[in-house]
Amino acid sequence: MTAESRLRSDRTAPVQPGADPGTGLIRLPAFWIVFAVVLAGGVRMAMIAGRFAGAYPMATLTATGLFALLAVPFWFTVSELDFLEREPPALLALAFAWGGLVATTVSIPGSAALDDLVAKLGSPHLAADWGAALAAPTVEEIAKTLGVVAIVLVARAQVNSVLDGVVYGAMVGLGFQIIEDIVYALGAVALAGRGDHIEPVVTTFLLRGFLSGVWSHTLFGALAGAGIGYLVVRADRTWRTRIGVAMLAVLGAWASHVLWNSPLFRDGLGNGALALLAVLVFKGLPPLVLTMLLVRAAHDREADYYAGQLAKLDDPELITPAELAALKSGSRRATARWHARTSAGLRARAAVRRLQRAQARLAVELSRGTTDLGRWCHEVRRQRRILAALGHPEAVAPEGKGPWRRTASTVFTTALAIAVLWAAISTLGGG
Amino acid sequence: MGWVTRRQLTDLLGALSLVLALAGLAFGLPALDRALPADRPVPADRPYAVGGGVTVVPPPGSRIDVTETRPTDEEGTALFRLGPVRYLITVRRFDGDLPTAAERLRQRITGTTGYQVTGTELTVATVSGLAGLQGGYTAPGRGGRYAVFVADGRTIEVTVSGADLDLGRTLPAIDASTRTLRYNPAAAK
Repeated sequence: MTAESRLRSDRTAPVQPGADPGTGLIRLPAFWIVFAVVLAGGVRMAMIAGRFAGAYPMATLTATGLFALLAVPFWFTVSELDFLEREPPALLALAFAWGGLVATTVSIPGSAALDDLVAKLGSPHLAADWGAALAAPTVEEIAKTLGVVAIVLVARAQVNSVLDGVVYGAMVGLGFQIIEDIVYALGAVALAGRGDHIEPVVTTFLLRGFLSGVWSHTLFGALAGAGIGYLVVRADRTWRTRIGVAMLAVLGAWASHVLWNSPLFRDGLGNGALALLAVLVFKGLPPLVLTMLLVRAAHDREADYYAGQLAKLDDPELITPAELAALKSGSRRATARWHARTSAGLRARAAVRRLQRAQARLAVELSRGTTDLGRWCHEVRRQRRILAALGHPEAVAPEGKGPWRRTASTVFTTALAIAVLWAAISTLGGG
Repeated sequence: MGWVTRRQLTDLLGALSLVLALAGLAFGLPALDRALPADRPVPADRPYAVGGGVTVVPPPGSRIDVTETRPTDEEGTALFRLGPVRYLITVRRFDGDLPTAAERLRQRITGTTGYQVTGTELTVATVSGLAGLQGGYTAPGRGGRYAVFVADGRTIEVTVSGADLDLGRTLPAIDASTRTLRYNPAAAK
């Protein structure tokens, strides 16, 4: 291991490989209790959805469709965060369901009650200005964090790095965000008092989906999830430290949510699209940057660990030193795929992706101490043969910062995202 | 007996703690909220700021319900209670005319199952010169009155609800209060 990798490894908690949960889950009481809680949340949310669907069928259908579509890129981004040790789809779905069905069900009465308590113990003015900033984050962040705890109880072995906590936390947050947005959209339809119209749904979609979507519950959930991940995997630290770090992470998620909901700078930067964009960036960027740094550090730690497992094989047919270097970094993995595409076509790009997945899976099996690795080695060799047949035998990233076209593509995508954001703000009357 | 492993027992305790925490949020907080009184006395000799630059002089003997009162510079709601009668004033941003505002309020009232608008609408005016429309509605075991005013990009909606006997007793005082509605553009954003 190099000096650089040792430094990277020192930054976050170690990886604790766990076995595949298999059907052993159903012997755990927590599985059935969590299942029952999710079912109860599902029934409750179905009742709410049923009421809206009866009164506003077209608006309900539109809101469900739009926000379901919005969930797709978020889902893929979150599930790709942990490329090397991918989380089981069933557990990701459970995390999403917890956020969408349980955390929302609990938060509706809980947040309303806490908002009332702010008014009773403080004043209606205090509740009007700060009620949303104090009540909602307090109840919602706790309810969502409990979702990551539920995942730990159901499948402890699957939370084996801080990054896993980030992924499950983000997925709980995503479920919460999507269902809450649908409820808000339909609430706007009811408030408009114009019957079954979809304009309030579209406005809510632009406002909450695009403008608030990037730095919303998915982000807060990821922060809190990192804390639970640390609590679970950092067995070498004292309980006091582990609990302290976990509480600090949940507090960070809460503080980010409070800042986002707070009346600060509501009118402080003036009117117009630029002022609105500035407020969005000021309130949303700090937690976004913090989470990205956290994910980067956790990913590096995990990458070092699994790269170390693969390096022990010392078999260039399974992984070459250059491929190992590429596999450790998300951007270099992407550069390797881009390089394959430019030098050998789209099929080579897909083959590189499959090879990287197979190598990552092999690393996970190595870390679990699986004795018979034949199946996983066979898959890597199979993908290697496909690549070789395409005239691109090694999944490497060229030296330097990557092809200019990839950089240009990133710049173009960012510019497009800003343009969409700008159009959304202008449509909402900001410009 | 060895039927339950230590891990299963820990897992069960953890899951039960999880359920307890959820119950605390879903039922504990609302129970605590219900345990504390929501209404406060409110002086009936001076205007009360509803929000969005709108004020009203509350009916004598009314109390303000702080759980449904949210005054801000842009919008606001104020709920007064006269015994079992609810007197709710809501100020919202609105881009339209008075008939449209009245139509939307009627749609929201009739959107609740069992609620029906009754009779015809009458024009009303406040002492400060705000012109509005007023009507009535019924619901199982309850009756109600609504009124709506439009001023400078805002609607001021008034809904009164309660049992018929209580309404008959309190409506004169509420009508008198509604006539004191005033919009002050300088106090609004």
